[in-house]
This record gives sequence, structure tokens and C-alpha cells, in this order.
Amino acid sequence: MQKKRLFASFAVMALVAGSLVAASGVATAATRTVIVWAPYTGGNLDMWNAAIKRVEAANPGLSITSVGNIDMAKSLAAINAGNGPDISVSNGNGNVGWFCGSGAWQKLNVLMAGKNGLDVKKTFNASANASAISNNVRCALPLGSEVFGFYSNKDLLAKAGFKNPPKTTTELLEYSKKLTTFNTDGSIKVAGFLPWAGYYGFDMDSMWLGQMFGAKWYGGDQKAAFASDPRWAKAFNWQKSFIANVYGGGDFDKGSKLLIKFVAAKGGEWGTEHDFMTGRVAMKWDANWMGPMFCTGDDWAMADKCTAKYEFTISGFPVSPELVATNYGSGVVGQAQMGISKGSKNVKDAWTVMKALATDTKLASAWDSANGAPSSLLSKDARPAKYPDWYQPIYDIVANPASAYHVVKNTGEHQEEALLQNLMASWQAGDTPNLKSALSDLATKVNQIVARNS
Amino acid sequence: MQLTKAVASFSPRKRGEGALAPARKKLKVPYLFIFLCMSPWIFGIIIFTAYPMVASFYQSFTKFNLIDSPEWVGLENFHRMFFEDSDFWLALRNTVWISAISIPLRIAFAMFTAWVLTKPKRGSSIYRTIFFLPSMVPTVAASMVFTYIFNPAYGPINRGLEAIGIKDPPFWFMDPKWSKWGLILLGLWGIGDTMIIYLAGLLDVPKSLYEAASLEGATQWQSFRYVTLPMMTPVIFFSFVTGVIGSFQYFTQAYVASGQVNDYSHAMYFYATHIYFTAFRAYEMGYASALAWVLLVITLVCTLIILKTQKRWVHYPNGSLFK
Repeated sequence: MQKKRLFASFAVMALVAGSLVAASGVATAATRTVIVWAPYTGGNLDMWNAAIKRVEAANPGLSITSVGNIDMAKSLAAINAGNGPDISVSNGNGNVGWFCGSGAWQKLNVLMAGKNGLDVKKTFNASANASAISNNVRCALPLGSEVFGFYSNKDLLAKAGFKNPPKTTTELLEYSKKLTTFNTDGSIKVAGFLPWAGYYGFDMDSMWLGQMFGAKWYGGDQKAAFASDPRWAKAFNWQKSFIANVYGGGDFDKGSKLLIKFVAAKGGEWGTEHDFMTGRVAMKWDANWMGPMFCTGDDWAMADKCTAKYEFTISGFPVSPELVATNYGSGVVGQAQMGISKGSKNVKDAWTVMKALATDTKLASAWDSANGAPSSLLSKDARPAKYPDWYQPIYDIVANPASAYHVVKNTGEHQEEALLQNLMASWQAGDTPNLKSALSDLATKVNQIVARNS
Repeated sequence: MQLTKAVASFSPRKRGEGALAPARKKLKVPYLFIFLCMSPWIFGIIIFTAYPMVASFYQSFTKFNLIDSPEWVGLENFHRMFFEDSDFWLALRNTVWISAISIPLRIAFAMFTAWVLTKPKRGSSIYRTIFFLPSMVPTVAASMVFTYIFNPAYGPINRGLEAIGIKDPPFWFMDPKWSKWGLILLGLWGIGDTMIIYLAGLLDVPKSLYEAASLEGATQWQSFRYVTLPMMTPVIFFSFVTGVIGSFQYFTQAYVASGQVNDYSHAMYFYATHIYFTAFRAYEMGYASALAWVLLVITLVCTLIILKTQKRWVHYPNGSLFK
């Protein structure tokens, strides 16, 4: 009887212990959690969350908490306070320098080379790979791209006798002269092209101008190259002479003043009042995601057929004549980026999730189809199954090896871009008398910021 | 001069004077209860004011980028501010400029508007409401509207100027030489809140003083100079002090307007803008804290100077509040 009791007791204990072990096993599985913060909202967040569900399904026992509508300032503050997410997403790569340089995102080199690694060269395009690195540290994986190229109004160009978009800066000037018309009071009626900081452009005009001349932001010594790379001075001098010749009849001040007024009267950026849609400007540099809007006037999704008043075409930026062979067809290409936060308690799983999201072709194609955000992935599966012909040049620009975003360094929220844009604006308004010293001051300032943040 | 004496000796009857005020029964309330009632405020001021001030004072001696722990750098931030940071001096210059021009203009304009509003015999409350309304418009909205009004291409101001024969009207916010004047005009448009204080002050000037002035044959200007102005000095003093404090924190209008146009020359870059950009664009919290503390010292010194000089020019019928 006693034996029976003893046996029964052992059996109960074994059962309890077994249940506890099993329960702890379940608990262990359930605690493999990865928290992901992203800036996405609405439909974009839905697509993102669908991708996260796919990652969860492919990794049993892994729970992913996705939080949308989180900007980078919030992520930064949380990472600093020690309660940040495992993965955070930045829209655009301007922040990569800051997040890599400050250590807010962890280095990925070891994870990439590990058993569950990733051959980024075979996976992403060249510009995406370059822009996920800052100060030789890779701390990010790219998501969808934003592509900046050259838009031409096909109808206006044809009317002026041009079949194709301009390939060189010389051609651009020639086209613009022919396309520009004036009102009887001397004001500009239709502008050919505006190399102008602040005419739409998202404060990136100076970056695009530099790209046309192949100007480098940093030299081999890692110092700011605005003064040492003569292509910057060449670009700015070209801008000045363009304004004088196309708009001022050789008089820069006259051209500049006319353009200030022209820009002040520009139509709204979002919708059919945009100057490019009304035919007020014939050619302009802009983002890929403006294409769907130029096509229909009110949508970001790619339509099969454009219903806008004018037909347009997209191409690479016109480049300085000596660069045609090497650089024509390229544009500025940036990416959304994501990284693993400093202080993440689950780096291994965070890497698994991040890798899966970055290489999810379904997510990439869905995003591109809905927003015009071409993937950074080389795989053609990452493209939408169906897209209009006019969108193909965007993929060509992304694939062009000369396409790039400038090297990003730890300057806070891309301070160097704002400073360069200010210089361009001051120069075009005739308020910078000495370009050489202004470029030199700019380089000094950027170097000081980088040094302070190092 | 007799008028001035009359104003100087004028003292309205104090409350309760001439009549026996009823004896007040002292309420006995436990201190703990008082403390409990005050605790939300005490809690708020400790958490949201005192702690951030102490923290920012400490951070002003550190290099702090939000990611790493603050690193003690001693007086380096202050050295950088005074000897290396050209934007600091630019922002300070702009701030002093806008203070020096806008404060006197706001005072004069508010007083003039209030004086005009004392004149209508009928419908005065309607006029007062109309003049007060602009101050109720959110600053951001008002700033955006002004960038439209001053648009050099289609803005009504330049259209009007062109219509009266001015060939090349200014580009306002798009021209560094004119952008600050655009901000000044925006400030004058929203003068309603200050105007109401002046209006109350003007209506509070005893009519007997004007009657005395009139009996002595004073002109309208003399009535203003020797009656209105001295009686209004406490109001002027108040708006001067609050104007100085406010103008050193000038931010929203400039931030919105410069965001609408290319403020490449930083003509609309003020001290508070410099703090904002340093903290939230460059993420240099330590340096931004140092800038904020220097701003506090500058504002404090200016306020103390004004308080010190007020004895010479502010007339209090009941004696100074700051003896």
C-alpha cells in the first residue's frame, strides 16, 4: 500500500515536473520576440505587417511585434533610454550616417558573414549596398528605393523639334533655350528647365546638380570634397551661366529675378496644378514616385494608362559632356534602411527577421506597385508582375552602376545636404560673391560637424 | 506742468477705504490638506520644469548625442559658442534686430489701435472684436497666410504695389533684405492681445484728469503727453518686459515662413531656431542646452535692466510694485 502511495506520489511529481518543463518549453518559445518599429501607416503598414506574418510563419516559435507610425526621433529616444525596438526603419538613407556613426544601429558584418548570413552583393543593387555603409561600417539593410531621375514633357519637346531627352548639360541648355517662352511683360511663360534650389525638389536640387557633374561629396581622405573636387565649382558655374543665358538674355541678375518670381508662382506640388502637369515647365528632375502622380494627377499607384494632359518620359540626368560614356543613364538612388538597435536583447532573431524582410520579393513588388518604390533587390521577382512602359526607365536608373546616393557621414540629420542646398540657393540669388571661398567654408563646416560627431 | 503734478498726486481710493471692512474669520485648514491640494502643481513643476532645468544645466557641460551617455566636456560648449560658432552670432544678431524693431513698433501700434478703439460711440464692442480676432488665429496658420499674401508673384500686397506704380516691389520672404520686415508686419497684424491690455489701461485713465487738462487749455497732444502716457506707463512697462522675453524666444513665425521659402541666407534664423536645429537636426543636446542657458542669462539680464530703470519712467498711481 505504502509502495503504491509512493509510486503515486512519484507519478504525480513526475507529471507536475513534466508539465512544468513542457510549460517552460512553451514559455521559451513564446519569449522569442522581436520588436519592429517602422514609420509606415495605412496601406503601407498593412503590406509591411503581411510580410511580418510571412516571417513569423516561416519561423515557428518566433513572435514579431510590429509598431507603425514611428519616426526616427522616437526610435532614437527609445534606443537611448534602453527600451528601443530590436529593429527600426528609417525612410531614406540620410540617417544612416547618424545611426551607424553614433552606434544606435549595430554593425552587421559578423552576422552577414555567419551561418545565417547574406551575400549582399548578389542580393542588392550597387547603390543600395553603398548607401547602407557609413565610415566603412555596415549597419543597415536596404528596403525599397527612391529614384531621382529626369522628367521630360514629350509633347513640348516634340513641338520644339526634339525627339529624345537631353543627354548632356550642353544639350539641356540648348533645349531649354528653345523651350522657354516669355509673356509680353517679360515674365517667364514656359520654362525649359530650372536648375534652381527650391523649385519643388525636396531640398535635393544641389545633390542632383552635383550628380550631373559627377561631383564627389567626400574625397579619398574622407574629408568633405566641396572645395577640393573642381566639379562642384564647375556645376555651380554652369548653373549661373544657364540662368543668365536661358532666362536673362546673358544677364544673370535679370534671369535670377525672373526665376524668383516664376518659382513663387509655381502650382501646388501634389495634384494637377503641378507645373509639370500644366506644361509650365518642360523638363525637371524629380523622384520616381512623382511619376504615377504626373500620370494621373491624383494617385501614387501605377496606372496602366496615363490620363494627364501631357505625355512624359523619364530618363537619367543629363550629364557633363565628358561623362556621357560612363555616367549617362544614371540618377540619384536612395533607400529606406533598417538596422538592429543597440541594446537589442535578441540580435540573432532580429537578424533573421531583418534579413527576411529585406529580401521579401512579395513585399517589394507590392510596395512598388502601390507607391512607385522600386526594390533594392536584384531579383526580378521584386518587380510588380505588371507595370506600364513609362516606368521601365526607373528600373534602368536603379540598375545603372553610376547611380548612387552621396556618401553619408555622421552629420546628424544630413546637415551637409542642407548646407549645400543653402549655398546653391544663395549662389542662384546672386548673394554669394566668391564661390571658391564659399565652397571652402562649406567643406570646413562639414568637416567640423563630422569631427565633432566622431 | 500742473497736469503732471495732478497725475503724480492722483491716487484712486483703495478697496475698503472709507468703509469698515467686515472682520474676516480665519479659516483653520490643516497644512497636509493644503499640501495635498497643491501637490499636482508641485509634482508638475518638479517633473516638468525643475528636473529638465537641472538636467539641461548639467548637459550644457557635456557632449550628448542622445545615444551615448553624456560626456563631460567642461566649458567647451561655451567656448565653441562664443569663438567658433558663426551661426550663434548670426542668430543672436537677428534676434536682437527683431527685438529692437518689433517691440517699440508693437507697443506704439497696440496703443494707437487701442486709442482708436476708444473713440467710436456706437458699436465699439464690434470693432474691438474685429481688431482682436487676428490674435486668435493660430500662429502657424497666420504665418502661412502671410507667406501667401507676400508672395512676389501672386500675393495681393505686391499686386497692389504694382497697381499703384511701384515697378519692382520687394520679394518679401524670398529676399533676405525684406524677410524680417515681413515678420514684423505679421507680428503687428496679430497685435490684438496686447491691444486689449492697452485698451483696458486707456479706459482706466480717470476722466477727471482729462477734464482738468481741458480746463487748463491743454491740446489733444498735451493731454496725451501729460495725462495718457504717464498713466499708461505701467502697461507699457508690462508689455515691454513680456515683449523682450517673447522676442528672445521668437520661433514659430520664422520657422514656418522660412520653411515656405528659401531662407538660404538665414535672415530668418533666430536664437530659438538655432537651439531647435542644434537639438533636433544635429542632435547635439549638450550644445543646445548650453545655448538655452545662455539665452536664459541674456533674457534675465535684459529684464533686470528694464526693472532697474522702470523707477525713472514708470508711473504707478499707487506706488511701485517693485520697490
